[in-house]
Parts: sequence; C-alpha cells; structure tokens
Amino acid sequence: MVIALVLCITLFIWMIMWHVYGKQNPSSTTYRTSTTEFSKLTEAYIMQNMVGSDNGIPIVRPEPNTNVFLMAEMWRWSPVLILEKDQSYKFHISSKDIVHGLSIQPVNMNFQVYPGYDYLLEFKPTETGEYKVICNEFCGIGHHTMIGKIVVIEKDEDLKLYGFKDLKKPAGKAAAKKNEPLTEAEMALMGEQVYTLKGCGACHKTDGTSLIAPSWKGLYGKDEHVIVDGKKTTVKVDDEYIKESIQNPTSKITVGYENTPMPVMGLSDEEIAQVIAYIKTL
Amino acid sequence: MFRTCDITGFKVDLQSEKLIRANAVFAVISLLFAVVAAILLVFTRYQPVHLLGAEWYYRLVTFHGLNALIFWIIFFEIAGLYFGSTVILNTKFCAPKWGWVAFALMVAGLVISNIIILMGKADVMLTSYTPLKAHPLYYLGIILFAVGALLAVILFFGNLMIARRDKAYGETMPLVTYGLMTAAIIAVITLASGALIYIPTFLWSLGLVENIDPAMYKLIWWGLGHSSQQINVAAMVSIWYMVSFLAVGGTSINERVSRSAFVLYILFICLASAHHLLTDPGVSSAWKVWNTSYAMYLAVLASMIHAFAVPSSFESAQRRWGYNKGLFQWLSKAPWSNPAFSSIILAVIGFGFIGGTTGVIFGMEQTNIIVHNTIAIPGHFKGTVVIGTTLTFMGITYYLIPLIFRRKIAGFKWAQWQPWLFFIGIALLSISMIVLGQLGVPRRHWDSSFSGGPFTHNFNPAVDFFWALMMLGGTIAFLATIIWILIVVISVFFGQKVNGPQDMQLKISPLAPQAKEHKGFEAPGTLALTMVFLLVFIALFFLNWKWLAATWNVN
Repeated sequence: MVIALVLCITLFIWMIMWHVYGKQNPSSTTYRTSTTEFSKLTEAYIMQNMVGSDNGIPIVRPEPNTNVFLMAEMWRWSPVLILEKDQSYKFHISSKDIVHGLSIQPVNMNFQVYPGYDYLLEFKPTETGEYKVICNEFCGIGHHTMIGKIVVIEKDEDLKLYGFKDLKKPAGKAAAKKNEPLTEAEMALMGEQVYTLKGCGACHKTDGTSLIAPSWKGLYGKDEHVIVDGKKTTVKVDDEYIKESIQNPTSKITVGYENTPMPVMGLSDEEIAQVIAYIKTL
Repeated sequence: MFRTCDITGFKVDLQSEKLIRANAVFAVISLLFAVVAAILLVFTRYQPVHLLGAEWYYRLVTFHGLNALIFWIIFFEIAGLYFGSTVILNTKFCAPKWGWVAFALMVAGLVISNIIILMGKADVMLTSYTPLKAHPLYYLGIILFAVGALLAVILFFGNLMIARRDKAYGETMPLVTYGLMTAAIIAVITLASGALIYIPTFLWSLGLVENIDPAMYKLIWWGLGHSSQQINVAAMVSIWYMVSFLAVGGTSINERVSRSAFVLYILFICLASAHHLLTDPGVSSAWKVWNTSYAMYLAVLASMIHAFAVPSSFESAQRRWGYNKGLFQWLSKAPWSNPAFSSIILAVIGFGFIGGTTGVIFGMEQTNIIVHNTIAIPGHFKGTVVIGTTLTFMGITYYLIPLIFRRKIAGFKWAQWQPWLFFIGIALLSISMIVLGQLGVPRRHWDSSFSGGPFTHNFNPAVDFFWALMMLGGTIAFLATIIWILIVVISVFFGQKVNGPQDMQLKISPLAPQAKEHKGFEAPGTLALTMVFLLVFIALFFLNWKWLAATWNVN
C-alpha cells in the first residue's frame, strides 16, 4: 500500500516536472473566438501568404516564429503548411463548424479542436518529412476524407522532394506594396486563391476533367452549349457570361450538368474579376 | 412475500426476485444488441473486408456504445443493487410498484433511443459532442432511461433503510452491500451530471435553447461518461469480494482498508472528466494536472488496494483450507472449474494489466498527446469495462442462474470454457487496439485509407498485423459472448429446475477456517504478483514517455 501511494505521488510530481523540463506540454493559452471571426482571420491569412495550391488546398509557407492559422472544417484542413526544421511556429487552431480532432501523423500528436475556441500551440518540428494531419474526432459522414498536410524542410532545395514546383511569392504582400492597379498576372494569382479558398475546385477541375461541372481548362473563349428557359442555345464564354454564371448560376445551365446545379457563392465583383483573370490563364 | 432459499438460507422477497429477473433479462438483450453491432464494426475496420458503408458504420458505433456501455451495464447493475439490498440483507423490497415504474422508464428509453439510432436520426456517437445534433427523441430516450435508473437507485437506498430499521444485518453492513452502496452514491452524482447536460441539449435540439458551448458540453458530459465508469468499478469490485466469499469462503484480510478504499472512490472521482480534456483548449495546464492527478490518483490507489485485497482474500482463505505449499499452490489448487471464480480472476488480471496500466498512463497530461482520440483509447476501456466489468457480470451470472432463476446451468462444460475464451478474445482485441493507437490510428474512423480525401496516409506497416489480430480477438470474444448468452437463455427458459443444494453445479463454500498459527505475511503470493504488476506498469510508463519525448516539441 505504501508502495502504491508513493507511486501515485510520483506520478503527480512527474507531470509537473515535465512542465518544467520536458519539451512536450499541452498549452494553456486559448482565445475566445467565433466561427465567423476565425474563418475570416484564416482566409485573410491565406490570402496574404498563399504560395500555391496542392490538390485544391492553398499552400502557405510561414516565416519562423510567426503566427500560423490552421482551420478545420467539414471536411478539410486548410492550409497546407511548409515549415522549417527546428523552428518554432505559433499555431492558432480552431474549427469553422463542429468539433474536430487534430492528429499529426506519423509523429502521432493529437489535440482537440473546437469551434469558438482558438487554441494556441507552439510547435517546433524536430524531423524533416511529409506529415499528414488527420481528423480523429467524428465529424460526419465525410470524416474519413478529412486529411491535410504539413511538410517540414531544412533548405529550399528540399521542396522538390515533396513535389512542390513553381511556388510563387505570396501575392498579398506584392499587392499591398503598391497602390497602382494589379497586373493581369497578379489578378490571376489572386483568382487562384479565390478558387481554392471558396472551394470551387470541389466541382470545377483545372486539369480538363469534367465530372460534376465543366472543367476550367481552356474554358475561356470557348463556345458552350447551354439551356436558357428550357431551350438549348450556344454562348461564347467571356467576362460577361462568367460573371452571370457566378452571380446567377441557374440562368444558363451548361448542357450535360442539369442535375448538378451550382450554388450561389457570394463573391464580390473584385473577386469575380480575379477568378476571370485566373480562368483566362488555364 | 418471502421464500427461504434452500441453498443459502437467505429469505428472498418474491417481488424483488421478479424485478431482478426483469432487469437482468433486459441487460442480456442489450448485450446481444451490442455484440452483434461490435462484430460488424470489427469487420468494417478490418480494411480487407470493409463490410459496412460509412453511414452504417457510424450508426452502429453509436448503437454499440449506447447498448454496451449504458444499457447492458446499467440494467445489470440495477439487478445487482436490488440483489445486494434485499436478498443479501434478508429484506423486502421497499416499493415494488415503483420498481416497475423505474423498469418501464428504462425500457422505454432503450426502445426509443435504439429506434431513433437505427432510423439514422442520431449518427452522433455515444458522446454526441455539440454542435453535432441528433433527433430530440434520441436525447429524450436517454433522459427517460436515466430517470428510471435514478429511481431504481433511490429504491436501493429505501431497501437499505428498511434493512437498517429491521436490524436485518449485524453490527456492520456486509462488504458487498457496502461496495454497492458506494456505486449507488456515485450513480447519483453521475446521473445529476447527466441531467445537467442532456436536458439542455434536448431543449437545444428542439430549438428552445440557442447554443450549447462545445467545451462546456464536453466537460459536463464526461462528468457523466467517466464517473459512470466508477459505478461499474465499485459494482465490479463488490462482486469480486462476493465471489471470493462464495467460492472459497474468503474475506478481505483487512476489511477496514477495503471499506475506506470504497470511500476514496466517492471522494476523488468527481473530476474524472478532466482527463478527457487533457489536450483540449479552454482549460489551463494547472487545472488539468491538478484534477487528473491529485484527485485521480487517489482513486487509482483505491483500485490498487482492491486489486490487492481481492486476490489476497482468495489466497488467505485457500491457505487456511490447507493449500499452503510454496508461493502459488493456493492458485494452482483454486476452484478453476467454477466459471464464476475463473471469470473473476481473469477480470482482475485484465482490469489491472490492460485497463489499469494504460488508464493511468493515458490519463497523464503529456502522454495523452500521443494517444488522444486514437484507437488506443477504446483499447484501454475494453480492458476496463469489457474484461473488467462485463466479464465480472458474466461470472456472477453463473451464481444468479441457480440462486435467482432457480435453474441448472445448461451446457456447464461450455460455461467452464467461456470465461477463458472471452478473456483471450478481448485481451487480443484490446492489446491490438492499444498498439494500433500508439501507431496513430484514429478511433471512430471508417476508412484508414482516406479514400476520397485530397491526400492519403500510410500507417506504419506493422498495423496490418495488428488489424488481423484485432479481428481475430473480436471474433473470439463475439463467439464467447454468444455462448454465454445461449447458456443464459437456455438455462433460464428451458433449463432443469433447481430443487435444492444437490442441484448446485457451482460450489458455495463455507467460511474458511481461522488460521491455526499466524506467521509472516498472510498473502505472499499476491504480493509477488503485485510486484510483477508494478514492474509491468513502470516499463510501460517509461516506454510511453520515451515515445512522447521523440515527438515534435510543443507548448
């Protein structure tokens, strides 16, 4: 009995000592937030820092010792992160909808993610490699598809090892520097951000495959068969048509996609212009 | 109305006997629901078979959890509480009519919740973390069940008061009843937490309450979810003492210590919900460390006391019966042919070595990082609730069939094998799950190949072996449970009547004789086994901390 009691007390002291000397301790810092506030913050953060996209999910390469936003939603982790070995990053983690579970594999670190609570965890990756972020709290029927990515590198050349090519400079920063209108290329880059951020890629692919909705590859300037008021007709894909299709998706429905009507996405005129610029480049 | 039992000499209140039977029957039905779902789930997670679709997988996880962890266990416990407060104390049931009301409420709860789940209106898991929302009737079903259970607990206290008034027992209450009383007190605390969270959630599902804070929900829900496991532990330990008494005439070598250990459960389990929040935002580290350790380890201490006291009571009694040679003759000459006895010994081992060690390690703030929400967590509680509680309940049933249902046990040979089969099955299942979890495999996850996701992840190749082992264990445990259910159903409904002591297949031992001389420690064998246990614990402890130290730094 005495042995057992000593053991129990040792366990208690052990946990406290690990806080002092150990390198893995859950943080005590949490901020109150709301789902709308946090998703706005994350969206703005991604807009500022996005350098490309990976399977429809924006990529961010944060500077060491900066704040990093990682958002969970049904059913994805956004953004994909490129980190450097042995550097610290202040992760802000929260959910856009329901409770999720942050599980970094294969290093196997697991934390709970709530809507309305911004959990601040300072991570310092100690090994390079490709890590996956899986969700380990049940979050609905698509739970098993919720998987994100964190890549830890030592130097820039390592990026190729993980298949990252043509990463761009963060567009937001370039845009912020000058007050003159954006160039067409910058607009297109912003458009790509909108594409990934708003989830257009769920239906519209950019590789020429058209399953649920027309692919955007080579779309601009093409003649498209559409149905207007039940009658078939042909239109040319131009600025006007794309704008109408985003703002009022059901007014002209492309032949072949009658059963998968597009929802109204609520994009601003500026964002629409950016998307158009992006489509032109495909 | 009493009958006098011709085997034990107890006065048995016939009304109470009927209530015990009814609750026990529904316990068995719930267990059947739970294991049928369980085997389908095992074969879904085993990727080469991948039996169910995603919808039905999550639906049956919810169904399995509710039926196994709530309905089976609580129905059985209510039967146990009635048994401990009337039959053992030679007392009548205080208000049988209310007993039937409680029973009806619980059955109604079971039927409503199960139907709603199977209709696909409550795919929310047992934990139903908000803002996931189920159909209001799902919450209502659980509330009805809980109200019924609370009423039954109140009736238990009523019975105790009658026994006290009638001086039905001597100076002190029997240890078994004392332990059950602990369980009942914890049950009141637990059910209060349950009401605190399920009633607002029910109103929220109806649209009457606007918002349920998810962190608060989780905190209070686990006040129900984890503390209720302490009811199981207290009830299970009470049964361990009872079987030691029935099978070899053993009594605790220090009854006062055993009793105070039960009190520790009541005092230090209230914040058990804390170790479900170890890796959560919202609460500070100081809060986590304090509430999981200072409080929890005293409950762990209590479990260690019991886990020592029960085998030592066997050992002490066996030695007094003359099996005194060496360190372990008491064990080799133990009544292994008595399935209740073997169930209890196996339950003690499984509970301690699998459930207990992992429970303490996973419940420490930092090590929780490497297992939180992985399949190691269900692996841990398969060790506690399934090998511990369920096997104990299965074991004591072998006494209840002749004593309460007055039937001989059909297929007694099968009954002797069943506990071993069940133990091996769950041990394989549980250990595989723990290893899989340590390799990062998540719990409650339909497809570990992440089909349809933007990326994929391949776990350590070792997982394939442990998935296969888990499937094997699950299958064995499933068969063992079906054998048990068949034995119970056939015995109770078609078995031969028990007409007296000559029909008892399980021995009821007289009290072990007093020791002739007293030299040295009473139970050296148990002490040796305890040392083995501590060594295993320490090994696992350092292994886990080493794994943790290999992860990224975080704070």
